[in-house]
Amino acid sequence: MRDRSFRDWFWIGLLVTVQLLPILAVFLNSVAVDWAGTILPDGYTSDHIRNITSDPRFTQSIINSLIVATGSLLITPLICVPAILVAYCYFPMLDKCMAVLVILPYAVPGIVLALGLLRIYSGNYGIVLNGTPWVLIFGYLPLAAPLYYVPIKSNLRALRTTEIFEAGRLLGASDFVIMWRIILPCVKQGLIIGLVMNFTLAISDFVYANLLVGGHFPTLQIFMGVLNGGSGRKLSVLITTYFIVIFVATAIVVWVTSRRIDE
Amino acid sequence: MIDIGKRTRLLAWLCAAPFLAVIFLFEILPIVAVASNSVFKEEVLSLGNYAEILFSKFFMGSFRVSFAISAATALIGLAVALPAAIVLRRMPGRLQQFVLICSNIGANFTGFPLAFAFVIMLGVSGSFTLLLARAGLIGDFNVYSTTGLVIVYSYFQILFAILLVLPGLAAITPDIEEAAFLMGASRFAFWWRIGLPIIAPNLAGAFLLLFANAMGTYATAWALVGGSANVVTIRIGELTAGDVFSDPNLADALAMLLVISLIIPIVIEQVVFRTRRPDA
Repeated sequence: MRDRSFRDWFWIGLLVTVQLLPILAVFLNSVAVDWAGTILPDGYTSDHIRNITSDPRFTQSIINSLIVATGSLLITPLICVPAILVAYCYFPMLDKCMAVLVILPYAVPGIVLALGLLRIYSGNYGIVLNGTPWVLIFGYLPLAAPLYYVPIKSNLRALRTTEIFEAGRLLGASDFVIMWRIILPCVKQGLIIGLVMNFTLAISDFVYANLLVGGHFPTLQIFMGVLNGGSGRKLSVLITTYFIVIFVATAIVVWVTSRRIDE
Repeated sequence: MIDIGKRTRLLAWLCAAPFLAVIFLFEILPIVAVASNSVFKEEVLSLGNYAEILFSKFFMGSFRVSFAISAATALIGLAVALPAAIVLRRMPGRLQQFVLICSNIGANFTGFPLAFAFVIMLGVSGSFTLLLARAGLIGDFNVYSTTGLVIVYSYFQILFAILLVLPGLAAITPDIEEAAFLMGASRFAFWWRIGLPIIAPNLAGAFLLLFANAMGTYATAWALVGGSANVVTIRIGELTAGDVFSDPNLADALAMLLVISLIIPIVIEQVVFRTRRPDA
């Protein structure tokens, strides 16, 4: 038995190592003095990091990305979560429709939706959202909806909602109180998973950002595209920063969820 | 379902209304716009755009390349993720959840960061190119190619596949496994005759989502090979934002054909596995 668990850990370890290699490569490149024609860099330096942090476009792109991500994190759960909860508890038909609506972005590629948004919100119909962060914040909502829907629904399935409502009403609680004080805390874990994934989506997207806002509101990913032609070292620092941001966000979430479960 | 009074019903609908409105404005309407624009050629209602694509060797070639890359990377993804998920299932629940969150982040690791990381490793003077060339394993490998796209796509496809496959494995409960082993089934016989048939519908669904994911990938292909990659999404982007080849209506028709090519297999899968499920 011990032999088998050793083999299990070996394979998982190998998989994780292979998955981490690209990240390690980018990090090494960001601190390398010179890295061409050799397997490992010739030496290490922090020059590139200082070099890029003095570039105003660097800070601007990070700020822009954080504006979009924060906007998305404030608006998306506020709109999606109440809808998911009421559909599950009160309207089974609506829940079925939602299941289809949230899966749709998986069958319709992002570039197709971006094309449609480009047609609609460029002013042809009197609304101009393209070029502003708003089109990204609302445009990401359909893409982020399944990220909340799937984990929250799996939390909901583990609850006996009908009994909870009967018991709560018997004790004189209003439906709103039952939702807020009992149902919502029960789906907290799904909600938190949804939040991290939503954040990752908002900060990783290139397709929407490139087609819909481009140079008007350069995000981290747009700036990466700008740097792609030039010095690879700057790009490496940028990508490493992007990873640190995502890792910190994930670590916070993993920490918060595991602590909540332990309590 | 829970009984509710008139007032609660109204309030509940008000809770769902903003969601439905945003989905309509930012998901349904864009698809309708693309579909309706695709049937106009030079401001005249016609199917000319579709005819132009279907009779063009160039555009049909891009569909062929996209199909090949997507099918290959979906299979690679499943081939790695299934054994990985089987092993992961035996690990503690906390670790599983951690891996799921990490996989989700990795599955979002696309576009410029991913393409650039692979150029560092597998580019002309990349570490791995040098290592493998010294070991005599590769001749003149070029990461800026269709093979390069397959390798790079495989990275996020494997992680996405783990996300899709792991929950489905819950259907194979320990008692099924124990019963099979009690009756003398070998590990291989168990997976081949019992395990795989149980999760087959799940695997088919996962394959289609992976296939669609690769078909729709734009940023990674653009970042790695730019306009020279003959994949459908690059052609759409070029017709939309290109300086030379701009033709928005043709782009819309190409986009619709991409959607149709993804929806047909999904519908077939639904029909096949829906009808099989009851007697299974």
